[in-house]
Amino acid sequence: MPIDANTVRKIAALARLRIDPGEEGRYVSELASILTYVEQLQPLDVSSIEPTSTVVEGPPTPLRPDRIVPCEVREEALEQAPEREGDYFRVPRVV
Amino acid sequence: MTGARPAPEAKEALRERYEAVIGLEVHAQLKTASKIFCGCSTRFGAAPNTQVCPVCLGLPGVLPVLNERAVAFAVMTGLAVGATIHPRSVFARKNYFYPDLPKGYQISQYDRPLCEGGAVEILVGDLVKRIGLVRIHLEEDAGKSLHPEGREGIVTTRVDLNRAGVPLIEIVSQPDLRSGVEAYRYLTKLKQILVYLDVCDGNMEEGSLRCDANVSVRPRGTEAFGTKTEIKNLNSFRYVEKAIHYEIDRQIGVIESGGRVVQETLLWDSARSVAETMRSKEEAHDYRYFPEPDLLPLDLDPAWVGSLRASLPELPDALRERLVRDQGVPEYDAEVLTETRSLATYFEETAARSGQPKLASNWIMTELNAVRNRTGQSIEEFPIRPDRLGALIAMVAKGTVSGKIAKQVFERMLSEPDGPEAIVAKHGLLPIDDEAALLALAREVIAANPGPAAEFRAGKEKTFAFLVGQAMKQSRGRAHPEKLQAALRAALGGAG
Amino acid sequence: MSDALTDRTAESIAAAVRGGEASAEEVARAFLARADRTSKRLGSFLHRTPEQAIASARAIDARRAKGERLGALAGVPVALKDNICTRGVPTTCGSRILEGYRPPYDAHVVERLRAADAVFVGKTNCDEFAMGSSTENSAYFPTRNPWDLARVPGGSSGGSAAAVAAREAALALGSDTGGSVRQPAAFCGVYGLKPTYGAVSRYGLVAFASSLDQIGPFARTARDTALLYDAIQGRDERDMTSRPEARPVSLDALEQGVRGLTLGVPRDLLAAEGVAPEIRERFEVASRAFADAGAKIVDVALPHAQYAIATYYLIAPAEASSNLARYDGVRYGLRVPDLDLATMYEATRGQGFGREVKRRILLGTYALSAGYYDAYYLGAQRVRTLIRRDFTEALRSADVLFFPVTPTTAFGIGEKVDDPLAMYLNDIYSIPASLAGVPALSFPAGFGPTGLPIGLQLVGRPFAEETLLRIARAAEAWGDATTRAPAIAREGAA
Ligand SMILES: [Mg+2]
Ligand SMILES: [Zn+2]
Repeated sequence: MPIDANTVRKIAALARLRIDPGEEGRYVSELASILTYVEQLQPLDVSSIEPTSTVVEGPPTPLRPDRIVPCEVREEALEQAPEREGDYFRVPRVV
Repeated sequence: MTGARPAPEAKEALRERYEAVIGLEVHAQLKTASKIFCGCSTRFGAAPNTQVCPVCLGLPGVLPVLNERAVAFAVMTGLAVGATIHPRSVFARKNYFYPDLPKGYQISQYDRPLCEGGAVEILVGDLVKRIGLVRIHLEEDAGKSLHPEGREGIVTTRVDLNRAGVPLIEIVSQPDLRSGVEAYRYLTKLKQILVYLDVCDGNMEEGSLRCDANVSVRPRGTEAFGTKTEIKNLNSFRYVEKAIHYEIDRQIGVIESGGRVVQETLLWDSARSVAETMRSKEEAHDYRYFPEPDLLPLDLDPAWVGSLRASLPELPDALRERLVRDQGVPEYDAEVLTETRSLATYFEETAARSGQPKLASNWIMTELNAVRNRTGQSIEEFPIRPDRLGALIAMVAKGTVSGKIAKQVFERMLSEPDGPEAIVAKHGLLPIDDEAALLALAREVIAANPGPAAEFRAGKEKTFAFLVGQAMKQSRGRAHPEKLQAALRAALGGAG
Repeated sequence: MSDALTDRTAESIAAAVRGGEASAEEVARAFLARADRTSKRLGSFLHRTPEQAIASARAIDARRAKGERLGALAGVPVALKDNICTRGVPTTCGSRILEGYRPPYDAHVVERLRAADAVFVGKTNCDEFAMGSSTENSAYFPTRNPWDLARVPGGSSGGSAAAVAAREAALALGSDTGGSVRQPAAFCGVYGLKPTYGAVSRYGLVAFASSLDQIGPFARTARDTALLYDAIQGRDERDMTSRPEARPVSLDALEQGVRGLTLGVPRDLLAAEGVAPEIRERFEVASRAFADAGAKIVDVALPHAQYAIATYYLIAPAEASSNLARYDGVRYGLRVPDLDLATMYEATRGQGFGREVKRRILLGTYALSAGYYDAYYLGAQRVRTLIRRDFTEALRSADVLFFPVTPTTAFGIGEKVDDPLAMYLNDIYSIPASLAGVPALSFPAGFGPTGLPIGLQLVGRPFAEETLLRIARAAEAWGDATTRAPAIAREGAA
C-alpha cells in the first residue's frame, strides 16, 4: 500500500479539501492503484537527465515594458464575489 | 514561549558569555510604475481594489507577463552589492492558501534565484564589517487583509488586492550579524544603497521595506549554531533592533534556566514590545515549490546586464571615499554628507561655488542642519540653495564679512530671496574700515567712557580691551578689528 | 434548405455569406434550429446563446450591406468549450465551483474569432476542468455520442466534438492537455487538432495543466480545420509561452497530396495489448492507402512512450493542484459559508469540486509535497525529457508519425466511471505527443463494424500543422469518413 488513510488526510488538509469520512477509503484505494502504476518509472535511471518543465524552445519571449494599462474591472469583479463589504472582498475573520 | 527572563542587572554579564547569530530577510518593493506581472499601477494608497485587473485578481484563465523594469532593478541591486547575476534563473510557485493571495500561490524564485552572493559593508565601532548575502530574488507581493479592530463581534476580514502583484526583491543575508545594533546598521546601509540606486523608495510606513529576523545564540567561542527562531512583523528598523535584543535575552534566559530553545516563528508586538509564537515547527508550511509553467526560465542578455552595470550611479561608499580624497573633508563629515545622494550633491555644489570644501562641510553640518532639525525641511526644500550658500562662504573666506556677520546674512537668506552681497548692502552689514569713520567712532567711545580712558592714559593697558569691545559693540560688529584698534590708540594718545 | 446549410463546410458558408448568397442570420438560424432538436438529448451544450448569435449575425449582415469586407469565418457558427472565457457569458468548466461565474474578459481566441466574424452559438459541455476522457465528469450532465446515444463522445471536450458531429455548430474549439481534443474527435468522427504547444495563446483558457494545455479546433474537414486554426494561431503578448514561430496553414498547400512524404510508424506502441482489431484494421488499410498514394512508410521507435501515462499522471495533477488553488470561495464562484476561514475553504472546495478533480488535486499535492517531489514530480519531468527526445529522434527519419488515437472506439456510458486507472490507460496514444509538445491531428478514418467512427493520428514536428492537415486532406478522397453524418443530424430534415 503506497499510501494510507492518514497520508490522504494530511494531503487533503494541505489542499484544503474536505473528504467525507465515508469516501476516504475509496480515495485511498484509487490513489494507491494509481501510485502503484506510476511506480513503473522508478527503475528508470534518469539521474543524469535534465528535467523538462516547459517544452518551449528558441529565443526568449520579450518581457513587458513597464507601462500602466488602466483596467476598469473592479465593479464587475466585486459583483462576482460571494460576499463583499463596500469595495472589499469579505471573508471569515482570519485569526 | 515564556522562558525565564534574566534580571536586568544580570543581562550584560550573560550577554558577554553568549554570542548571537542573526540573519535578516528583507523584502524591498521595487519602484516600477506597473506591477510585476500585469499593467496595474503600483501607486500606494489608492481606493480599495481600484488597481486590479483579471491577472492580479487571479481570475480563471489569466497568465503572468514579466515586467522588464522589475528585472532590471533586481539586477542593478545585485550588481551594486557585488552579487553573481545568473544568466538563467527560474520562477517557482510557492503554494499556500490565504485570502489576500489570489491564485493560491505566490510567484517567486526558489532553487534558481536571479542573484547569489555579494555583501554589504557596515561600520562597527570604527572598523568595517562585511555582511555576506545569500541571495536576491524576484517575487510578487500579496494583497492586504484588513481586520477592522475596536468594534464588538467583528467576525470578518476585508481584502484589498491593490498591492497584489507589486514587484518585490527578497534580500537574504548570511548569519553574519551579531547584535541588534549591527542589524540596524545593516538595514540602514541596505536602504541607503536601494535609495541611491533609485529602485526602492525605502518607505517603511508604506511597507516598501519589510524585514524578518532569524535569531539564535551560542556560548561565545563555540562554532555550532544554536536553534534559531524567526521573528516577523518588524516594520521599523528600531523594532528590528529591539526585537532582536529581546529575543537574544529570551533565548539566553531559556538556556540559563536549563531549557531548550524551540524552533518557531514569532510575531513581534511593537505595542507591548514582546514576541509571541505564531507558528511552531510542526505547523511549518509545506509550500510545494515547483517551476512556474506559465513563465519561461528568465534568460538575461549579457549585453543588457552590461548596460545596466554601466548605468549604475555612484554608491555611498565610493562617494564617501571620493569626498575624503578629493574634497579633503574628514571621514566623519563624509559619512554625514553622504547620508542621502541629494545632501551630498548639495555639498558638492556648495563646495564648488565657494571653493571652500571644508568650510562648506562645516556650514552644512552645523548651521544648515540645525535649521533643518528645527524646521524638518528636506535638503530639497531648503530655501538657501548651494549658489547662495557658496557665495556667502566665499565672502567669509575673503574676509569680506566676519563669521558673525555671515551668520546674520545666513539667517536673513532663510526668509529673503536675495544673494548674500545684496543682503549685506540692503541691511548695512558692510564692515567699517574707513579711518575717519573709525576715528570718529573711537572719539565717541572715549567720550562715553571717560573713566576707563583716563585709566588707560594712566598706563592701565588692560582697559584698552574694554574700550575696543565697546567700540565693536557700537559698530554692531562691523568695525575692522585692526584698524579700529589703531584708531582708538590714536584718539587716546592725541587727546592729551 | 436549412439542413443543406448545416451540412455545408465552414469554408463554403463563409464564402456564401461574404458573397451574399446566404445571410449570416439564416445560417445562424439553421444551426440553432438543429441544436434545438438535438442538443438536450446529446447534452452537448452547458449554455446556449441564441440571442447573441442572432444579434451578431445581423451585425455581420449589416456590415456586409454597407459594403464592408467580412472576415475569414464570416457568419460561421462556432461553439466554445466551457473552459474558454467569454465576457459576460457563463464559463463554468463543467464545475459546480464556477456555477454562474461570468468572466469580465474574453479569451484571446474569442477575440480572434470575433475579429474573423464568426458567430458564437454557446458553451459546450466538458469533463470538470477538462479532467476526463468521457465528459461523464461534467458536474451538470454527461454528453452523449451522436453516433450512439448509449456511448460517450470522449472527453474532455466531448460537447464540442458532439456539437460539430451533430451539425449543431460548423466549428468548435476544445482544449487538449493529454488528448482532450483528439480522443473525442476520434469517438465522434470529426477532425481534432492539438496544435504545437505555444502556437495558440492560452490567455483566457482556464488552466488545467499549464505546461500541456493547448486550445484546438474541431471541424468536419481538413480545410475547415485549417481555417479555424489559422484564425486562432499566432503570438499573443499576454501569454509568455505563445510563440512567434507559429504560422498559418495555406489551404492550397493542403491539396499537394502525400507523395514524397515519409510516415513513421511506431510499431512498439501499436503492439500494446488492448488495441481493438477494428482499430488495427483501419490503421493498416489507411497506411496501405497512403503508400499507394506515394507516401513512404517507415518504422520508427518511441522507446519511452510506454512511460507516458505514468509521467503524465504525475505532471498534470501536480500542475492542476496548484492551478485549482484559486477556487477558494473568496473572489468568485461557490462559497460554502462558515465563520471559520479554514472550514470555509475546505467545505467550499469539498463541495465545489467533483470526485475526479479531487482525486487529481490529491494526487498532485502528494507528488509535490515534501519528501515526494524528487521521486515523483522531478522524476516525471526527467522522463518527459526522454519522451521528447524520442519524438525529436523519430521525426528526423520521418516527416510525421502515424498511429491510432485510441485503442478502441467509443465505450459505453458508465462503463469505466468506477475504474479511474482503466480510464487513464485509454490515453496511451494521445498523451505522448502532449508531453513532447508537438502538433497532433486526429482525423476521421472510417467506421468500425458497428458503425462507430474511428480516428487515426498524425504527429508532426513543432509548428508543422500544415503537413498534418495536408496528409489528412489526401485521405478524405478514399471514403465517406468526412461526409457521412450521424442519424441524429438528419432528424427532421426536410
Ligand atoms: Mg519572500
Ligand atoms: Zn493587475
